[in-house]
Amino acid sequence: MQTSLRKFNLSQWLALLILIAGSAIVLVPLLWTVSTSLKTPAEVFGNSFFPQKWIWSNYSDAVRAIPFFLFLRNTLIILVPVMIGTVFTGALCAYGFARFNFRGKQTLFLILLATMMLPSQVTLIPTFLLFKQVGLTNSFLPLILPAFFGGLGGGAFNIFLIRQFMRGIPRELDESAFVDGANRWQIFIRIMAPLSKAPLIAVSIFTFMGVWNDFQGPLIYLNSNEKYTLALGLSMFKGMYNVEWNMLMAATILIMLPALILFFIAQKYFIEGISISSAIKG
Amino acid sequence: MNNSKSDRAGYLFILPWLLGLIIFTLGPMIFSLILSFSKWDVITGVESIQYVGLDNFKAIFHDPLFYQSLKVTFIFALVSVPLFQVASILIAVLLNMRSRGMKFFRLIYFMPSVIPAVATSMMWVMIFNPEYGILNEALGWFGIQGPAWLQDPNYALGALIVMGLWGVGNTIIIYLSGLQGVPEDLYEAGELDGAGIFRRFFSITLPLITPTIFFNLIMGIIGGFQYFTQAFVMTNGGPLNSTLFYNLYLYNKAFIEFDMGYASALSWILFIIILLFTLLVIRSSSFWVYYQGDDRD
Repeated sequence: MQTSLRKFNLSQWLALLILIAGSAIVLVPLLWTVSTSLKTPAEVFGNSFFPQKWIWSNYSDAVRAIPFFLFLRNTLIILVPVMIGTVFTGALCAYGFARFNFRGKQTLFLILLATMMLPSQVTLIPTFLLFKQVGLTNSFLPLILPAFFGGLGGGAFNIFLIRQFMRGIPRELDESAFVDGANRWQIFIRIMAPLSKAPLIAVSIFTFMGVWNDFQGPLIYLNSNEKYTLALGLSMFKGMYNVEWNMLMAATILIMLPALILFFIAQKYFIEGISISSAIKG
Repeated sequence: MNNSKSDRAGYLFILPWLLGLIIFTLGPMIFSLILSFSKWDVITGVESIQYVGLDNFKAIFHDPLFYQSLKVTFIFALVSVPLFQVASILIAVLLNMRSRGMKFFRLIYFMPSVIPAVATSMMWVMIFNPEYGILNEALGWFGIQGPAWLQDPNYALGALIVMGLWGVGNTIIIYLSGLQGVPEDLYEAGELDGAGIFRRFFSITLPLITPTIFFNLIMGIIGGFQYFTQAFVMTNGGPLNSTLFYNLYLYNKAFIEFDMGYASALSWILFIIILLFTLLVIRSSSFWVYYQGDDRD
């Protein structure tokens, strides 16, 4: 309900109050996690919200308790190619759907939309078995390769998102380049891709988040500890003999941090990207 | 640009996706269907796949854990989907107010949805801790003796629903964009007609965001049925299978017990259930989803 600023009445004060209370509910667990990560083990069991003394060494201890940098490296080995593959093939396919009229395009596009609805469980087992058959389990490849084929599941959404945007680019732009003798590939690389910067950034961010958050994929494909990603490593931390909550929370914060920093830097693309997804109406 | 020779180049551009569709979607779907009618000890080669007809499905319908996981998933979806929608709409309406600081509030509410599920889970394992968790501490201020949450079969599922409520940020953002599509003049007209806040909400806002509700309902149902990471990390289905989500049970069958045929059959049942629910929502949508464009025709 949009009401103008000049009548900041009782109901609006009430609304503001509710928003503040809600924000507290969102923030308190986070702040408490941060505060726990700075406590001594004894203090964790006490009931003061803030630590008496800030034990920053919990962070360095946590990093040493699990092979943090190894897990970080593994995560990045997956992340970088996946981002390149997803953005590149996503843009490529989106261009194909946005600017060409080949036979069966409508049907193929409908199939693309339908794959967004397909639960990943149906393809999970056979895809795992496929990679097992060719001897690629316990390697990063099953987590990387699909990104170069438009991406599993989420790939369709990316193509859809970029295509919607590309359709909004005036045809005259690429047609005049065509008249000037540019071929399709040059048009894609020099005109369409640079102009689609906004959805490409949005897709990159979603891809980063997807890989950073991915749990089930690494869980299924990676068996040996030295191949674990951060998300997987953190969950194993919990299962370790006698959990030290302060250290566990320090590790939790460390895994959250890159996602949160990226979010604050790129929130515009984030929020717009998500809003666009609501444009897919029935 | 419309000669057929250059248009054929379109196939080249969509080739990556087309190959992906065959290798990672259609192929696996066919293989999965075959597996669901087979028994296969994965350790031996593909040759040892044995056709067993409907045996997997028969076994599933006599499997108490199948019903348990279905029950857990249904309860979760039936409670959390409507609850999340109502909460998100209310917060989105508040966040849609024109006032300073709204951008700041939007950031705060959206923040939890970018935190990795594993990290959120770890955080909440600590929050739910019965002795030194902050939740029971806070309940204590009101004289309420909090339960053991994740260790108590009566509360574990509820705990996961409570945790989910914390992260409804992205649903809020989608509603917010839906709300921004509601024309301002409708509210002004409503106000002139003497409609109060609630009247304006139920007669203007709510009908006009039904397409967004529709979208979120479908996404919510699909998401609810695919719930995995949090349950795996926090409770691993326990205590007493009270949080044995369907997807978790499927994972156990496939990747712990390596009963791929059975698990494939489970995945097809899940697919059919999701499809039925989605179709139900789509079919019902003509009764309650209102498209602004419609009445202009």
